[in-house]
Amino acid sequence: MSSRPGLDRARLRSALQAIVGPDGVLTEPDELLVYESDGLTIFRATADAVAFPRSTAEVAACVRLANVEGLPFVARGAGTGLAGGCLPSEGGLVIALTRMARILEVDYANQIAVVEPGLVNLHLSQALGPRGFYYAPDPSSQLACTIGGNVANNSGGPHTLKYGVTTNHVLGLEVVLPDGEVVWLGGKVRDPQGYDLVGLFVGSEGTFGIVTKVVVRIVRRPPAVRTLLAVFDQLDQASQTVAAITARGLTPAAIEMIDQLTIQAVEDAFGAGYPRDAAAALLIELDGLDVGLDEEAAHVVAACRESGAREVRLARNESERQLLWKGRKHAFGAYGRIAPAYMVMDGVIPRTRLPEVLRNIERIVTTHALRVGNVFHAGDGNLHPNILYDPRKPGEEERVLAAGAEIMRACVDVGGTISGEHGIGLEKRDFMPWIFSEADLATMAAIKAVFNPTGRCNPGKIFPTRKSCAPGEIAYQPHPLEASGLIQRL
Amino acid sequence: MTATLLRSLAEIVGPAHCLGGADRAPYVVDGRTPCGVVLPGSADEVARVVRAAAAVGVPVVPWGGGSQMSRGTPPRDGALVVGLRRLGRVLEHEPGDLTATAEAGITLDAFQAALGTGGQWLPLDPPAPGTATLGGVLAANAAGPRRQGYGTARDLVIGMRVVAADGQLIRAGGKVVKNVAGYDLVKLYIGSLGTLGIIVDATLKLRPRPEAEGACWATFATLDAAAGAAGVLAGSELGPVALALLDARAADACAPVVGLPAAAAPAVLVAFDGLARTVAWEGEEAARRLRAAGARAVEGLDAGGTARALGAVRETRRLLASPVAIATVGVLPADVGAYLGAAQTTAQAGGFELAAVAHAGHGLVTLVLAPGGAPRPAAATAAVLAAWRDAARARGGHLAVEWAPLGVRAACPVWDPPGPGVDLMRGLKARLDPLGVLNPGRFVGGI
Repeated sequence: MSSRPGLDRARLRSALQAIVGPDGVLTEPDELLVYESDGLTIFRATADAVAFPRSTAEVAACVRLANVEGLPFVARGAGTGLAGGCLPSEGGLVIALTRMARILEVDYANQIAVVEPGLVNLHLSQALGPRGFYYAPDPSSQLACTIGGNVANNSGGPHTLKYGVTTNHVLGLEVVLPDGEVVWLGGKVRDPQGYDLVGLFVGSEGTFGIVTKVVVRIVRRPPAVRTLLAVFDQLDQASQTVAAITARGLTPAAIEMIDQLTIQAVEDAFGAGYPRDAAAALLIELDGLDVGLDEEAAHVVAACRESGAREVRLARNESERQLLWKGRKHAFGAYGRIAPAYMVMDGVIPRTRLPEVLRNIERIVTTHALRVGNVFHAGDGNLHPNILYDPRKPGEEERVLAAGAEIMRACVDVGGTISGEHGIGLEKRDFMPWIFSEADLATMAAIKAVFNPTGRCNPGKIFPTRKSCAPGEIAYQPHPLEASGLIQRL
Repeated sequence: MTATLLRSLAEIVGPAHCLGGADRAPYVVDGRTPCGVVLPGSADEVARVVRAAAAVGVPVVPWGGGSQMSRGTPPRDGALVVGLRRLGRVLEHEPGDLTATAEAGITLDAFQAALGTGGQWLPLDPPAPGTATLGGVLAANAAGPRRQGYGTARDLVIGMRVVAADGQLIRAGGKVVKNVAGYDLVKLYIGSLGTLGIIVDATLKLRPRPEAEGACWATFATLDAAAGAAGVLAGSELGPVALALLDARAADACAPVVGLPAAAAPAVLVAFDGLARTVAWEGEEAARRLRAAGARAVEGLDAGGTARALGAVRETRRLLASPVAIATVGVLPADVGAYLGAAQTTAQAGGFELAAVAHAGHGLVTLVLAPGGAPRPAAATAAVLAAWRDAARARGGHLAVEWAPLGVRAACPVWDPPGPGVDLMRGLKARLDPLGVLNPGRFVGGI
């Protein structure tokens, strides 16, 4: 996106520098490139400036300046989002929170911590580790993603099956509202009076304001863990096992499914010890007190065997456990060995519909002459089909988008939804009418107008751009440098 | 005008489901008599009723089992009560998905009974499950002692449908256990006391019925010692499903219900569920830690005793024979002991008796006040409540008057002075219910 007409970039730069210091502003086109995309690189948009505030007051001042200048603005954490939610889709100001990354307070007696939004998710658990505590939500990107970004997207992760997603762990938020006012929603004490504004704010994808402090619950790390890998010759068997475990009254901490294509990619990349010929594997983790875990593990093994598992392995020590998890957590990276690019999908279905939907996904992708790898949170029905493709091949990206839309449709058709943890952002806004009526969307728009009456805070996200949308209708907008032939997408 | 409204309502729901005259008596709250009571039989009928009332400017008061109707500021005189009790069906229960959808008017007990056939339950245990309805529990965000282990409605509801102020049917969330599509309206409607919409059905996450349940009942010489022991368990790896702290008076009232001899000594109730082997170990380990923390006596409870004990601490209104006020307070968990001590001093100084139960791990306290001897004037009751409120707020907490006679509530507001988010709350109310149709005036900040 080109610069806004009439914008005096030098003046904007110095005004921002007056707020955040001389080292906290980017306005040069080559600097801005880094901030034009998130983890879903298919969408790009260039900001007019990126500012790096160091305090709530500086965030508020940036927001007020944007209002005075009539600029749209959007908060950004680590940029690991997967729906384009933090993109400056109409230009304007990116407010990057990476310089606000402190743990302000840890209160073990009350099991809460107060942190800044730019804190990396894993850094919080690492800081709490010596006292035996941790922060439970664990997105796969937790090495990089920030707590503020987690709040915006209501992020999940493998262990949310047992422990809940971000919204179940946030008690209070200090936010800068889109008009620059600073307000606390909730706090350290439970059940504050009035509407649950914290619950409403979490997952609002940066459209209600900018989070500047977060009060989170911290919990004791379970003293014992058992990690199993169940190997299947048929995908359906693995799918059926998920319901079989549930039917036995067990609540594992995580049930992750890895399909054959993904197993082979992982083994090619770094060898997690998954059997290459397996149709699918389930990575199942139980945690809690040591006393009951072997009995629980025995129940899980029995459920896997009854569903046709050819082998169930139990990690014998922490290094074996870490290796099994490495295969799961680094699966996305491993796709890089077998395809130049992949598009991560995120949909949710009722757990009992896994077998038919996985077959359906395979059929859809094959119809579009593409390949798909599945690695996902099977325990709560949260699918992540990854469509592999080569962006250099003409027409392939369009086929990916068309297949992706059909997969989302397949999720909706069995009573599911279009996002379990990545958010709507830019990517899925035109799918919203598949699950919400006009009245539902009008209610959401009315709520947005309360927080964000000018619409200047993160415009263009969540809400559909047109009344209806056929699958695959999302338009790819080439980057200016790409259009001019200076760069190409790899 | 009212007569016209009642005629049109009778056309919507049928005359048999439209109550007037003396039939309204059970629906009088705080001396406020509704203009009528209408009992719609479907979500669509609820929507049409709301539209009809809104069209003539008559506010509606949603009514489930009526168990929480004394909460909040009194309703308007002449409002229309919309009773949900005919919406009492379980619409879907898929055990393999661990989810179920039910209509708002089903009682908690009836819902649990239906789920039990699939070996599952909703781990939410608010007071009065025999009369409280699903919709009412969600609207009031009511919870019980098991919130320590399972959380509250906001952790369990994955979707709902509500009738909005303009009579449109709105879907919030969905039917799957993970969902970040659009704003999380479920959170907004939970605890909104019917001021933003009338919940007509809800979809919930379920749990398998645990194989075993057990608990420890520990008594202490002092409240401080009991609070300290509760703190030890709250921060432990044992993961109790319930952790209640009872002052001497509450413990004295609850012990006979549990099957233990009445004894006026502060107590801690800690409960576990799961595999039998694990529950047995947890019970022993908890008993050991309670003794180490100074317990004078620790009784292990079997499944039946555990259920009775959790039921007793849940039904706080039964703690004292003739209460004059019940307040719910939130403070930091570590402050519960000190707060209860101060509350006791205030009550005694005013010539009152206090019974208190806390969900110790979450810092939530229910205070039940009764006259120590001769009846006390409303102003004296209000003065105690006001002092309790000041003490809670001084610790960063909050107090709501959950129940008290109108005279007391006239002297001591039900809700705290509104906090920093009240402008947003009023903005939401104004946007979503611009005509003030839905339960107006009952909620925080005059909403």
